[in-house]
Amino acid sequence: MFEDIPVDVSPMYEGERIRSANMFVELAGPKSIGAELVQVKDNVEDGKIEVKGPELADMEEGEIYPLGILIEIQGEKLEKELEGVIERRTHELCNYIKGFMHLNQRDQIWCRVSKEAKESGFKLEHLTKALSTLFREEFPIIEAISITILTDKAEVEVFLEKAKSLYEERDARARELSDEDVDVFYGCVMCQSFAPTHVCVVTPDRTALCGAINWFDCRAAAKMDPEGPIFEIEKGEILDEVKGEYENVNLVVADRSQGTFDRIYLHSVFEYPHTSCGCFEAVAFYVPELDGIGIVDRDFKGETPLGLPFSAMAGQCSGGKQVEGFTGLSLEYMRSPKFLQADGGYERVVWLPKEIKDALVDYIPADLIDKIPTEEDVNSIKEIRTFLEEKEHPILERLKVSTEEIETDEKPIETPELEEIEEMDTREVPTSPVAYASEMTLPTSTGMKIILKNAKIYAEKVIIKRK
Amino acid sequence: MGYLVIIAVSGKGGTGKTLVSSLLIKILSETGKDVLAIDADPDSNLPEALGVEVEKTVGDIREELKQDTAAGKIPAGMNKWDILDYKIMESVVESPEFDLLVMGRPEGSGCYCAVNNMLRKIIETLSSNYDFIIIDTEAGLEHLSRRTTQNVNVMLIVTDISKRGFLTAQRIGNLSNELDINFQKMFLVLNRVKKENEDLIRKKAVETGLDVIGVIYDDTEVTEYDIEGKPLIGLPVDSNPVKTVSKIVSQILD
Repeated sequence: MFEDIPVDVSPMYEGERIRSANMFVELAGPKSIGAELVQVKDNVEDGKIEVKGPELADMEEGEIYPLGILIEIQGEKLEKELEGVIERRTHELCNYIKGFMHLNQRDQIWCRVSKEAKESGFKLEHLTKALSTLFREEFPIIEAISITILTDKAEVEVFLEKAKSLYEERDARARELSDEDVDVFYGCVMCQSFAPTHVCVVTPDRTALCGAINWFDCRAAAKMDPEGPIFEIEKGEILDEVKGEYENVNLVVADRSQGTFDRIYLHSVFEYPHTSCGCFEAVAFYVPELDGIGIVDRDFKGETPLGLPFSAMAGQCSGGKQVEGFTGLSLEYMRSPKFLQADGGYERVVWLPKEIKDALVDYIPADLIDKIPTEEDVNSIKEIRTFLEEKEHPILERLKVSTEEIETDEKPIETPELEEIEEMDTREVPTSPVAYASEMTLPTSTGMKIILKNAKIYAEKVIIKRK
Repeated sequence: MGYLVIIAVSGKGGTGKTLVSSLLIKILSETGKDVLAIDADPDSNLPEALGVEVEKTVGDIREELKQDTAAGKIPAGMNKWDILDYKIMESVVESPEFDLLVMGRPEGSGCYCAVNNMLRKIIETLSSNYDFIIIDTEAGLEHLSRRTTQNVNVMLIVTDISKRGFLTAQRIGNLSNELDINFQKMFLVLNRVKKENEDLIRKKAVETGLDVIGVIYDDTEVTEYDIEGKPLIGLPVDSNPVKTVSKIVSQILD
């Protein structure tokens, strides 16, 4: 199939690196410019290949040249949305060619041609021929393909600008990719060495808790290392779209957590929140006094308004535990349109460190941005409450509703008074349950177990005491 | 490309690991084969010994990637494997004789599972392109996972004549046996030995349970190079350290 190409073409050459000591020339890379682009077009002349600018024979050994790879494709079933996926394969397919190194993608490509390949008669023209054949083989939906290689600096510059604007358009679309658009999520158990029951579920709308890997990274990882810690999860039947509960996700989580958890809500801190590993970037925590959610990140050094620093908060839920009212999350997830959507998203957030708030300025709804206090505005629950009232934070609506509920099913539980550190009178302001639990076990010493289901605990006075 | 030979050089800090590593690199690169040097000791000065400058270490790249990720600067349609792959390649110091990868600073706070997992795989792929890999490392081989059996893995443990040097050597010897990495061969290299007490030092070496593969004598030239900050890789071919390491190389490759 590749008899007219003077070097071997085979998947076995993937991962080939060419040392500068062994290279004939470098193309694109950190010291030059370059880009690759796949475009779905009409009237593509099938099999057309062209090298615009100097061929390898015209190049000086040891020098660095710009490189543009334009791949135009046509096919009845080809859509613009597939351009990115197909372009992504350029890296792999280029690497099939022995003596041709290709790294990364888009305008960050870096290629080298080995001295050995040059000596055996390899030309850029052969690269176009090989790619043309490989792409058609890989994607039978391509009916016509035409490849142009650019090595002339001025031409590559023009090409690069055009390519960049198209990548931006594509990224905007990728950011819009949501849980509904895909059939497969990914699971990651990389943290199980220290959080043995933790299973991270990564979806287009929810990056891993560590913030290090998103859905696209997982897709690459699962492909690159199929036996590795990242694996596919067919999402299966949707049980609750808002909370983010999926039948098959539950099954996989049960299996991979050794049966410890069998339900996960992807987008809520209540009932069955996602478990937390230990390396999450931030923690979302329920603030019962305000029925709101606070968020604190790893870099925040002080104490949260609850009086606890990040480390203590993290201790509550780390190690692969599922603790209602707490969930570890990544900062990127806070840019997701589904960010804790079941709980009200940013409308439910009542406190954030200043640094995160500043970083999220474009993602927090404009009408809320001034209503969420940071450590610069407030220092205690009381001050948050005053702040929220002054700024008319939407959480107040929730608190009013909760107050009405109180009248009907009030059953206060006395909190034993101990040495008081902070005292809060909750009667003057609208309030919500101090604690809510779908199921909680009361500690007993008689060998009996007392389980309260759907318990709401109200108190006239809440005393928070340091041990 | 034949099979890959990995030589790890370990030992207590200051005993002459970097001297041995840089001379191994010198000698092996003269064979015309592809040599990758990995500086895996955050306190070592292998780049200086080799006379090359390092712009970025793997540690720097790891931090950069974490920061860019946290700031949401990674384009949505790109994946971090490829970005990391590119950056690692960029960090490799390339010279006509050898390539050098510097691991650099240790991790900061936060989670490094994901990025380290990617790094392991990427460095493994990179490594597979070379004939010889020399690793200057404090003790273990955390950066390389289990290799295929066709590789020759050799651990050279360097010690000077101090008691603590010997104790560290013994500890590394025991530790390596417990690790996943399977060294076919493990040897002791004695450094800064004075000719008059060579017999005594050799006797002490027996107690470590390791075979001695070479003895480097206390060398005035090395001291001069150290004082002037001259790259050790430039030590003359007829100097005792170069001759000793040459012999070690022939023994390993036999």
